[in-house]
Amino acid sequence: MNLVRAELERLAARRFVQLMVVLLAAAFAVTVVTTLAGSHRPGPAELSRAQAQAAESVRQMEMTYDRCLRIREGTLPPGENDYLPRDCAQIDPAQIEELPSAADYLSGVFVFAKEAEPLLYFLIAFLTLFGFLVGASYIGADLNSGGVVNLLLWRPRRPLVLAAKLGTLLGGLLGLSVLASAAYLGAFWLIGQASGLVGRTGGDFWPSLAAIWVRGLMLVLLAAALGFAVATLGRHTSAALGTVAAYVVVWELGARLVFQILEVGRPDRYMLSSYLAAWLSGEVRLWDNNACGPGISGYCDGSYTLTWTSGLVVLLGLTGALVAAAFTVFRRRDLI
Amino acid sequence: MSAVIEIAGLRKTFHTLRQGRRIAVDGFDMLVEAGQVHGFLGPNGSGKTTTLRALLGLVRPDAGRMRVLGAESPEHLPDVAGRVGAIVESPQFFANFTAHRTLRLLALAGGVPTARVDEVLEQVGLRDRGDERVKGYSLGMKQRLAVASALLKSPELLILDEPANGLDPAGIREMRDLTRSLAEAGVTVLLSSHILAEIQLICDHVTIVSRGRRVAYGPVEEVLAGFDQHQWRVRVADPEQAGQLLGRAGLSVTVAPDHLVVTGVQDPETISRTLGEQGMWVRELVPLRPDLESVFLELTGDHEHVAVPRQVDGAPPNDGVIDLDVRESREVDA
Ligand SMILES: Nc1ncnc2c1ncn2[C@@H]1O[C@H](COP(=O)(O)OP(=O)(O)OP(=O)(O)O)[C@@H](O)[C@H]1O
Ligand SMILES: [Mg+2]
Repeated sequence: MNLVRAELERLAARRFVQLMVVLLAAAFAVTVVTTLAGSHRPGPAELSRAQAQAAESVRQMEMTYDRCLRIREGTLPPGENDYLPRDCAQIDPAQIEELPSAADYLSGVFVFAKEAEPLLYFLIAFLTLFGFLVGASYIGADLNSGGVVNLLLWRPRRPLVLAAKLGTLLGGLLGLSVLASAAYLGAFWLIGQASGLVGRTGGDFWPSLAAIWVRGLMLVLLAAALGFAVATLGRHTSAALGTVAAYVVVWELGARLVFQILEVGRPDRYMLSSYLAAWLSGEVRLWDNNACGPGISGYCDGSYTLTWTSGLVVLLGLTGALVAAAFTVFRRRDLI
Repeated sequence: MSAVIEIAGLRKTFHTLRQGRRIAVDGFDMLVEAGQVHGFLGPNGSGKTTTLRALLGLVRPDAGRMRVLGAESPEHLPDVAGRVGAIVESPQFFANFTAHRTLRLLALAGGVPTARVDEVLEQVGLRDRGDERVKGYSLGMKQRLAVASALLKSPELLILDEPANGLDPAGIREMRDLTRSLAEAGVTVLLSSHILAEIQLICDHVTIVSRGRRVAYGPVEEVLAGFDQHQWRVRVADPEQAGQLLGRAGLSVTVAPDHLVVTGVQDPETISRTLGEQGMWVRELVPLRPDLESVFLELTGDHEHVAVPRQVDGAPPNDGVIDLDVRESREVDA
């Protein structure tokens, strides 16, 4: 317990951590200010005009759907400009996820419900980078500056010391991420309330936002553990940065090119980025270049999907393996 | 007396890509008993730091058994770590933290009341500058901080690897006084240093290591006595003639232009009587005693030396042909 307290204090006292928190706060402040400056609360006239426009557009959609149905029934000859899907249900307004709303026809008005998701993704991206860098530099600098050796003279149980560091890192990061995302979304919700619109937050708006949030937090923690593990293995912060850079250049870019030249089907299956995307967005649809070769006639769907479960398994497996390796190596290593 | 540090047959080989195998410690033995101020001497690269690192669980030995305060190291080191304060080879500290924070974090992690931090900073003379970043410290100040970190636990056993490194003369004296006062308070101290005069001043016991093996150990006086060839420097009016006289009396004599050196005489009376009986009067009769430096150089020097560890028991070395660089001792007790 004392060890964790000391580590928490060490972590909070690190200038790199402080710098990143300041950076986060600054980015946050800038977005809030620019959003506030570019948004106003719509007046009644503006609102009713937008509502009328939205209603008009919904009516148009209904008419198109209706036309489609009648053309398919044969009661109406198809016109020149008609868009006719194979199945009219595809353009059934009743089945469309998001019908046009007044919010779509208001300019210069911040609508929380529309912006919340991209804002959250931005925050997650920042926190993931933050987590990785802090995770790597926290242990990297400590190994390098002799801090770990000094600490081991006090607490010789190496696995315990490393676990306390990793645990403190993840716990601290989780706390910070929860606070940051609450403050972040809360602030934008308030902006929506005060000088914009909150928009449609009913239905599965909050549940789906919460799902993204939970997956995002998980990603932040995984990134931090990964940075921590690689820096421990390489005894240096830069080991983690170098590994990621090398991975991206050699595998994500280089190997992808080679796969393309060799016409390997589904190269995305071997890319971490695909699993990352699958985990974050719930599912990714990828294209198999070889599935619809010249030999296949007729309709061919060459796409395949990666689900969030496979994303989680891959990310968790990789991080888990690296963390286990870091603990094993650290246990036996000569610390000079 | 209870053993505080016991090392038997310690062996450590480093494997590096470029140099290959390097034997750092090669079957090393050591015994430090409670209450000793024990000097740990050896040339550069002889394995002192590696031994201490192994003892403290920082490097993994290839063979050997070690105990600290009765606990097997490294398996049971955690049981006694709170009672052992150590600095190993100029410890590094995180440069951006202040001395105060550095010590505070260690105290927190080790469960020592953080009030100790100010006490130890005071003890090593860093109180006024404890709130500065370590980055801005001089070498000696970092060394003082290191000593402070070792003192923080109020240890029973203090292991100091070259604590005087970088200290100014006043700092060295402060360190000596500090070591003495700790020893008086019952702390066992293991001290490695290259300043042999310093070791001779503070330590009551020594272990000398060369190429990873122990070559001498025991109480300082006895180790020195073991190399005592019972030499005397004699000044007389005519060294040439006196030399012949003493030689005829069966003594081993070296004649220099202005003095003689007589070797292997226990009682100087033999010399003065032999000369006096022939009407030659002794002007000066000075014992030439080995000091730690000469013994150290003899034991660890480059020339072929069979590294048989000897616990020197006061008897003169029997291999006889030692060319000791013998210094004259200050006091004239003829
Ligand atoms: N990490 C390492 N990798 C390879 N060789 C090492 C390592 N650490 C020490 N050695 C080698 O082990 C031998 C003993 O080194 P050690 O540091 O124990 O000597 P020392 O007695 O403390 O010397 P000094 O008086 O200079 O401090 C040396 O030959 C050194 O080169
Ligand atoms: Mg050394």
